[in-house]
Amino acid sequence: MQYSAELIEHFRNPRNAGMMRDPDGVGESEYPDCMDLARVYLRVRAGQVVEARFQTYGCGPTIAASSAGTELATGRRLDELIELPLPRLVEAIGGLPDERRHAAEVVVAAIRAAARDALARLESRGEEGSCSTR
Amino acid sequence: MNRRVYLDHNASTPVHPDVVNAMLPYFEERFGNPSSVHGFGREARDAVEGAREQIAGFLRARADEIVFTSGGTESDNFAVKGVALAAGTGHVITSQIEHHAVLRSCQHLETLGFDVTYVPVDRNGMVNPDDVRRAIRADTVLVSIMHANSEVGTIEPIREIGQVTRERAVTFHVDGVQTFGKVPIDLEAFGIDLLSFSSHKVYGPKGVAGLYIRKGTRMISVQHGGDHERRRRAGTENVPAIVGFGQAVEVRARDMQAEAIRVTALRDRLWDGIRAAVPDVSLNGHPTERLPGTCNLCFRHVESESIVLGLDLKGIGVSAGSACTSGSVEPSYVLVAMGVPLEWSMGAVRCSLGRSTTSEDIDYVIESVEPLVAKLRSLSPAAV
Repeated sequence: MQYSAELIEHFRNPRNAGMMRDPDGVGESEYPDCMDLARVYLRVRAGQVVEARFQTYGCGPTIAASSAGTELATGRRLDELIELPLPRLVEAIGGLPDERRHAAEVVVAAIRAAARDALARLESRGEEGSCSTR
Repeated sequence: MNRRVYLDHNASTPVHPDVVNAMLPYFEERFGNPSSVHGFGREARDAVEGAREQIAGFLRARADEIVFTSGGTESDNFAVKGVALAAGTGHVITSQIEHHAVLRSCQHLETLGFDVTYVPVDRNGMVNPDDVRRAIRADTVLVSIMHANSEVGTIEPIREIGQVTRERAVTFHVDGVQTFGKVPIDLEAFGIDLLSFSSHKVYGPKGVAGLYIRKGTRMISVQHGGDHERRRRAGTENVPAIVGFGQAVEVRARDMQAEAIRVTALRDRLWDGIRAAVPDVSLNGHPTERLPGTCNLCFRHVESESIVLGLDLKGIGVSAGSACTSGSVEPSYVLVAMGVPLEWSMGAVRCSLGRSTTSEDIDYVIESVEPLVAKLRSLSPAAV
């Protein structure tokens, strides 16, 4: 398995793993062929992610991508995350073999979904650009 | 530095030191082409025929019934296509869990107009001989059933299936790549007409294998060229590898029985240790009719490749039950055929022990698996 040092590090020591209590946004994505599933939780203040966590079932690259994805998401605005480019996550884990590309795809989809969910919640509360009381 | 533990002997094995020593002279000193008439060729020819005699003796076959090939895959292709194409048309029976070399050869025959029946297996991965009997038709030209499955290790009822094929006068091919040199194979008692077997699964070199062809079996060649192997399989023989194969078989003849007992005990130690330490784990394959060193496990709520990667980082080499490590992301077709639910089969890992495996290795693996699986489960939403 030819994985980058960054990917291996994120797999060995995943950052931000586990559920989040009362998240401001939750997104999930599944790769149907192999059942890899990534779930991302976001804590948001003033339209910006202050904390991100993940739960993931999947292969090593998917776990690593989830870890790197939460680091990538933290500090970014929601409107930026709803269009998070796939190559940015692939770069964050030092690249992926072609047959593992789905690992980044499923995590990016989960992050985008979480950002959309957070924006939707903000809109439903009538709050533009501000949110969580935490 | 991590301990290094190799538990993938069903994939390949390290070459035995005696085998390496036997092979060495045939690279630089005795390098002739066995088909050459001069002395350089004759000494290479003598070496090839010597290895053939060693292997024939081990199988209690005639030397002229042993054909050398480049690998188990070629042997399987030769057997399946060679018999079927000699008949020209007709029906073939195989199982749903054969090696791809047999399955894809059968699928190729279907494109040529053959009918193929893929008999099912039960929850333990075992073929029912009655299913084979019921599948045989007037135009059945070949039954091809593996002796043991490489993924889960289940040993098939070859003796009973051979009785069926003998009763019905149908040629019987057995893929013995995973059993040759590990468990006894009785060609006569099992009614085997063709047997595929491989060198690198039994501490011989890669690049050489064999096909036993019972005298009188009707088949055609699938590799054409010179008159090698009595015009059955063209191509200059891989002399060093063949010599090594012969030596590996000599070593196996000496060590096989005791090794099977030792490795079975270690295999059971591994399963007992893991199931005591790790919840939600199951064993795949027949509980008793299983290869001595094969232990295929399903870990619920964890994905195969993440376990394989995690163990690899601890210096432990195992293989994934699903095909994810090979690039495909689908679950193992063997486990699917056995009816293993997807939520379990996606977490399948195969450990296959061998000659070098020690009890310390097994304990290290158990100690490594438990925290790894616990950590991976803590990441998974399904396990919450």
